Amino acid sequence: MPTRPLVTSYHDDMSLFPDLWNRIGLVAALAAIVLFPYLANDHWLNIGINALVAVVGAVGMMVLTGFTGQVSLGHAAFLAVGGYTTAILGLSFGIPFWLCLPLSGLVAALVGLSVGPFALRLEGLYLAIVTIGLMFLVEHMLRNGLEVAYGKEYLSVPMHLWFESGDVDPLGGFRKAWEFGGFKLDSDRKIYLLFILLAVISVWVGKNLQRSNSGRAMMAIRDGELAAGALGVHSARSKMISFGISSFIAGIAGSMYAFAHPVLTLEPFNLKMSVDFVAMVVFGGVGTMFGAVAGALVFTFLHPFCETVGRLMPFPDSFSSEYQSALIFFPVLCLFLLFEPLGLLGIWFRIKRYFLAWPFRY
Amino acid sequence: MTELFQLLVSGFALGAIYGLVALGFVVIYRASQVFNFAHGELLTLGAVLMVWLNSPPAVIEDALALGGSTVDGLGWPWALSLMVALGVTGLVAAVIEGLCLRPLVGRPVFVPIIVTLFVGAILRMVVMLIFGNDSMPILTPWESMGAFDLGGAMIDYSSSAAIVAGGFAFLVFGILVRYTRLGVAMRATSSNQETALGLGIPVGKVLGVTWFLAGTMAALAGIFLGIRDYSVDMNLGFIAMRAFPAVIVGGLDSALGAVVAGLLLGTLEVLTAGYVNSMLGPFGKNFHTVLPYLVMILFLMVRPYGLFGTKKVERV
Repeated sequence: MPTRPLVTSYHDDMSLFPDLWNRIGLVAALAAIVLFPYLANDHWLNIGINALVAVVGAVGMMVLTGFTGQVSLGHAAFLAVGGYTTAILGLSFGIPFWLCLPLSGLVAALVGLSVGPFALRLEGLYLAIVTIGLMFLVEHMLRNGLEVAYGKEYLSVPMHLWFESGDVDPLGGFRKAWEFGGFKLDSDRKIYLLFILLAVISVWVGKNLQRSNSGRAMMAIRDGELAAGALGVHSARSKMISFGISSFIAGIAGSMYAFAHPVLTLEPFNLKMSVDFVAMVVFGGVGTMFGAVAGALVFTFLHPFCETVGRLMPFPDSFSSEYQSALIFFPVLCLFLLFEPLGLLGIWFRIKRYFLAWPFRY
Repeated sequence: MTELFQLLVSGFALGAIYGLVALGFVVIYRASQVFNFAHGELLTLGAVLMVWLNSPPAVIEDALALGGSTVDGLGWPWALSLMVALGVTGLVAAVIEGLCLRPLVGRPVFVPIIVTLFVGAILRMVVMLIFGNDSMPILTPWESMGAFDLGGAMIDYSSSAAIVAGGFAFLVFGILVRYTRLGVAMRATSSNQETALGLGIPVGKVLGVTWFLAGTMAALAGIFLGIRDYSVDMNLGFIAMRAFPAVIVGGLDSALGAVVAGLLLGTLEVLTAGYVNSMLGPFGKNFHTVLPYLVMILFLMVRPYGLFGTKKVERV
């Protein structure tokens, strides 16, 4: 039983939402995401904001690892570059937030493109370890650079509505609550709605990249670099494009992260964050936009869930809730990776097949 | 001059530990084509086990007198504790291979990477759950703070012990791989698993034994790292991350390369900390910790397969 309708024309192949299933799923998901801030309390809203940041970051990771097959464990470095660009632009130059976003992406993309030439010569594990090294180097530069420029490692991230000069407001105009006609929108919900927009745009960009000439070239490189080269794919150029786009999106994710955490420190941009992004991509299903989104959402929401379960377990008191959730979270993830090679995508396929074939079993 | 000599010796001690850690990575890579990111946690496990087995059982009054920082251990003799700690860590490594890595054969390269990372995280949590996450003092049969005078430089016993242990492990491993039946089977397996299976070599068992060996190396490195630093805590395993450059510079599949590059990078790191850091102004702070990575990246531009790694030849 096929899981998608038969493709009979080029138009069919290029359509974004080929069947009813995609449309139903999309509408349901969007409705859930838009209604979420009105149903959730502040704690869950924060988790939702982090989940949207993770979606954008995972889309960036998917372009590099899922499409092009290049393993990078330095994704967090690009997020850090994006985040700190946003913080510095807003804090020292009074640049409005809507300009900070693309500028952070550009700076991160520049860093990514300067890394590219190193990556072209390497593959597989060598590349993975070199990207870890690059991450440590970027962290070292950022840490000591901040020490020189600001004398501290943490920065506050303002969100200005328009160009500011002189003494800047540490929170910025965008974070003030809006009120019109009895309809109130507080700071977190505003950020959440902004992030939905950004996440949708990045997923749309990723989806279109996947269907485009350069995206197909990337996937050809992933599946067989030599064969792709024989078919006329310029592998070095495609890899560079992939690095550039991936780090651009990662930079935007970093910028979003900075907006979501008004006091920005270097702590969270570590190897664990990079690994989390690779895990999200694999967890969701490698090589699809569905995988990036589903992986990021489920991955982020699994953490508080594990925390709740951890509280019920008989752990000693000295064991903090973070460790408790980790002790449940990691085994679950390991089992999933071992027994479900396709990730969440595989489960989605199975559900879809069940209903499509109903009342038969297959 | 004396200062240089002193730095060289402590660099060699660090290098010997890097080499031992890198050797563990290389042994596993040659067998399973997997980079075992859980190696660092195996280091911690070995060192913590050693402390627990070797420390004498705590007496409540003593614990109060020392501020409650003693370890309630079993008080076994040092050599026996060492053997048991090595063996148990090796077994844990073999179990990891059997349970988590065997089912991943044929999956993309990044799946084993994240699975080993997650297994490492689980291992860390379990060790913390059982032994707590305080820093623990480690005992030595020699006077742990003692030192001898060599040409004007004071060389402490603990650093020299690390060098001796590293050299000893490398020798034993070299002899094992070169001159024993098991070594031949290991080399055959790493060269081509299917052919090895066809020739009647029990590839599964050989993989298990290889991981066992790598686990014992990890424990050895962890214990001597703890002895060098006089204490063991949960962050001991982070040294594995700093040994990555040694693995890559030496060549992922070369045991000799791992040891040579480990010694080189360890010495370079200590010398940089001694002489270069202060010259770089504000950017010199902790510069020695990132220098091995810088060396690794630049080195890969010249030799993408490391010092002694085999160049991959691709046929279509």
